[in-house]
Amino acid sequence: MAWTTALPLAIVLSSLVPGLLIFALREDQHWQRTALNLAGVFTKLLLVALMLYGVSRGLVFHFSLPFLPDSELVFQGDALSLQFVGLSSLLWLATTIYAIGYLEDSPLRSRFFGYFSLCVSATVGLALAGNLVTFLLFYELLTLATFPLVVHRGTPEALRAGRVYLAYTLGGGTLLLMGVALLHSLTGSPDFMPGGYLAPLVESHPASLVMAFALLILGLGVKAALIPLHGWLPQAMVAPAPVSALLHAVAVVKAGAFGILRVVYDVYGIEPVQALYLDQPLLWLAASTIIYGSLKAMQQQDIKKRLAYSTVSQVSYITLGVALIGPLAAIGALVHLVHQGLMKVTLFFCAGNFAETLGVHRIQEMNGIGRRMPLTMAAFTIAALGMIGAPPIAGFISKWYLGLGALQVDHAWVLAVLVASGLLNAVYFLPLIYRGWFAQPPDQWHHENRRWKKTRPGWRETHWMLLVPTLFTALLSLLAGIFAGTDISPLAWARLIVAREFGA
Amino acid sequence: MSPVVFYLCVGAGLWVAGLHGLMVVRHPLRRILAINIMGSGVFMVMVALANRGTTVDPVLQALVVTGLVVAVSATAFALRLARAVLSLSPPPRSAKPHTIKPRPTQPHPTKPRPTRDSPIRNSPP
Amino acid sequence: MNLALISLALPLVTALLLMLFRSRGWVWVALASLLSLVSAAGALYEVVGGGRQLLYLGGWDSALAIRFQLTPVSGLLLAFTALIHLLVAIYAARSHHSQTRDSDYWPLSCLLHGSLAALWLSVDLFNWYVTLELLGLVAVAMITLAGPKAYGAALNYLTLSLGASLFYLLGVALMYGRYGVLDVLLLVELVEADNSTRTAMILMSLGLMLKAALWPLHQWLPAAHASAPTAVSALLSALVVKGPLFILWLLWSQVAPRELAAQAGPILAMAGILALVAGGWAALRTPYIKTLVAYSTVAQLGYALLALGLLLHWQIAELHVALWLFVLAHGLAKVSMFLAAGEMQATLGSRRVDSLKGATQTMPVAMFAFAVAGGSLIGLPPSGGFLAKWVLLQPLFLEPRHWPWAFGVMLGTLVTAAYVFRVVALAFDRARPMRPDYHPDPFAQWLAMLPALLVWSMALISEPLILWLTGVTD
Repeated sequence: MAWTTALPLAIVLSSLVPGLLIFALREDQHWQRTALNLAGVFTKLLLVALMLYGVSRGLVFHFSLPFLPDSELVFQGDALSLQFVGLSSLLWLATTIYAIGYLEDSPLRSRFFGYFSLCVSATVGLALAGNLVTFLLFYELLTLATFPLVVHRGTPEALRAGRVYLAYTLGGGTLLLMGVALLHSLTGSPDFMPGGYLAPLVESHPASLVMAFALLILGLGVKAALIPLHGWLPQAMVAPAPVSALLHAVAVVKAGAFGILRVVYDVYGIEPVQALYLDQPLLWLAASTIIYGSLKAMQQQDIKKRLAYSTVSQVSYITLGVALIGPLAAIGALVHLVHQGLMKVTLFFCAGNFAETLGVHRIQEMNGIGRRMPLTMAAFTIAALGMIGAPPIAGFISKWYLGLGALQVDHAWVLAVLVASGLLNAVYFLPLIYRGWFAQPPDQWHHENRRWKKTRPGWRETHWMLLVPTLFTALLSLLAGIFAGTDISPLAWARLIVAREFGA
Repeated sequence: MSPVVFYLCVGAGLWVAGLHGLMVVRHPLRRILAINIMGSGVFMVMVALANRGTTVDPVLQALVVTGLVVAVSATAFALRLARAVLSLSPPPRSAKPHTIKPRPTQPHPTKPRPTRDSPIRNSPP
Repeated sequence: MNLALISLALPLVTALLLMLFRSRGWVWVALASLLSLVSAAGALYEVVGGGRQLLYLGGWDSALAIRFQLTPVSGLLLAFTALIHLLVAIYAARSHHSQTRDSDYWPLSCLLHGSLAALWLSVDLFNWYVTLELLGLVAVAMITLAGPKAYGAALNYLTLSLGASLFYLLGVALMYGRYGVLDVLLLVELVEADNSTRTAMILMSLGLMLKAALWPLHQWLPAAHASAPTAVSALLSALVVKGPLFILWLLWSQVAPRELAAQAGPILAMAGILALVAGGWAALRTPYIKTLVAYSTVAQLGYALLALGLLLHWQIAELHVALWLFVLAHGLAKVSMFLAAGEMQATLGSRRVDSLKGATQTMPVAMFAFAVAGGSLIGLPPSGGFLAKWVLLQPLFLEPRHWPWAFGVMLGTLVTAAYVFRVVALAFDRARPMRPDYHPDPFAQWLAMLPALLVWSMALISEPLILWLTGVTD
């Protein structure tokens, strides 16, 4: 087997195998568990870097296995999959370290990390999926792997949130299955192709194609948190912070958005989508979600809930960019996948730090937290400003391209939506920043964490395993923006993808 | 009406009567009776059909014989099971009240029979 | 054909010998079913390569003889029956919580295996009557092994089953009276769509539908399967109800004239959808674990009904494949589910679903087996259930006028997911987990996991499976 065939499989296995092994470990075997976790993480990073190098040189990575009649299980390493795989692997590193620190002395860690690794394997498998059937397989596996994480705490609230999560995601999965089966009955399941493969059927089967598109977008929209299918996301905030970070910045919502990217670019193609008038409804849906998410975020008093609604809003930027059929908008969508991931994970890490160290869950309790935890608050500020779209942080770059893309296709109203959303983001993020830095701190914090030795502002402000990943991702958000013009930035990779996929 | 048709109708009528009994009656023994009546109906239909041609059809006669064997063994099993069910709970009251008063009978001396088939359970159900 | 006959004879002979020597040795049963499995596999290999095989019993000629037929489907079913029998026999012998280890389970289960094997091989209407009666009587006898509390449900099943057999027998008599042959292969050429044929087909179908617990004639099943011992429930749900389904399928797809079949198709398909919804709804509401699993059987048989109905309505060959894939996937998953449920019930000491609270901690292996089996029932990829659903959906999507049926399948999937996750979500409730009353038995739990893993790996052999099943209608 050539290394180009084995590499995609190896990337998926690099988290699957440690995950399965971790299930077999006893609770007290910390070192083995940490070792397996980190071994998996670093192996995956190495393999992904190898694949990045290969793809940038133009190599083809393709693995297939017979599965269903007429369609195989296919892993394909192309530029778009690597965008997502790279993000997942990098953030898996950060989240693993964070989770190890966060869950220290918690029960059932073997089970947690086992499912954690399975979740990452499913995400990576989904990213590397080479056709719709493989994508569907890993999409469903992702649902199954994330459910135990959401209900990890085992409390009644966690279970209720878990049931809601399942209801939405299994429903979405069924709709996706229907869409995939419908398309399969028409064309089989060929590999994803830049420019799509459904163009020949636009004349002969328009009704079926429209129905399939609706089913696919509804199915994917559940995970991508498009309204009105977003209900599970705020509820799932009961999960521990590492889970929220991973799920809502990296795995689940990005899987939905990535799926929409694949469907529009590599299955349907942009001309058929326009010919069937499918881009307008998608555009309206994305725009409404952006505004709705921002409005709901303003009403929330719980930090994590506010961040959840912010995710609802921000992920729809990606959908918006896709629906604005045009190369600049496409670049904006693709690069926002990465940037939003980096910034959101930073925000969730900060929220988790505040909750774990000082028992701060609500916004009113954040007064003056910057004096006590300056580094975390600095990371929070960077990420929040990026969300608002302030240069030179990464969020500004993606918004810039989305705005340009809107103008390129003469949809000036979309620009208005982007500006409005930016303003709303400011309305619900700036007060937090103000409170954190400038408000008067309380005499005693809500619930100081007694587990750790005396914490001091600065490098000792919280457990190092909680602090380092936070700063790491905040730094990446900043660098991704500053160095956006260079060849090694996510923006450059997005440009590469668009150049290859659109031939433009 | 030819004999074949006559006996076909009688057989069908018995079958329907048995079916009615099976659906309406609740008492186990009566249901078993109803099933037997249904069976008799089917057998009569078969015997009637055996005479539909000029010569008697032996296949149907063979089927009836087989069917009788099956019916006997099934009825035996059903009776044993019905007895077990009835001994656990009193029988349901029938639709019509009894008009015949039961005669007082001598009590039978019952010998405790050894049962071979009591399962040894390792844990409560 | 010889290998198939060996596969049939082994369990029969074992049953007779066990009864003769009053033995309860499980080793003989396991050995017999293993050898039966091997010979069935050999028979399957032969028939896949060489084509359909026929045998005239006793060497009589065609008009008088009873025939046995071996097709890829019957070969597959022979192997499947032997495999399930083997798995459940090992469970019944080795599980600490088995209620049937020192009982008459052993000869009875061999009789069940033998009569089912005879059913798969038969193509004669009356021979089927005999095998159906055998099957029914043995099944009821096995239910009574659970003790007095099962007698009521067993008696109800027995009386209804006997009544259903008489429906079937009357239909057979009418068929013979009209056409003069009992052999299905001969009937295929002779049959016409007239009133007596229609009456006969309806009578036979009603009888078979009751025996196979197809909606709406399923009322006896939940009580019977839930009160039986665990191993027996597994055999009943996985195997016994599939026998009448096989006969129903053969009758309608081969014997029935096209016009009749096309009329009956939509009725059966609608009954299938209703089975999925009604069975699923009942499964959601019942407070008992095994009753939940039994209602799940009623619901899943709806998929088979749906495939059968649509197959008759539109005459699409792929739906044969879908039907048998459902049967195979359901059989394996149901065995796993019943064994896991039985273990959990016995270890936690309660028959109620509420007692499964926190079972992911107290009984992780059994609960995982239950969840994996449930995943196949829901149809999550890449399980056997998904494969079956996929093959079912393809023809449904091809034409827009068929789409409503696809949405019926979607509804069935969602209801199935609801009741499976009713249990799985409860199992994650760690707030007040139920502590086990008795020692958990790890071996039995892993044994329960085995069929679930098998059904999930069915997708790996999807190509050969579909290939074998596609040669079904020859």
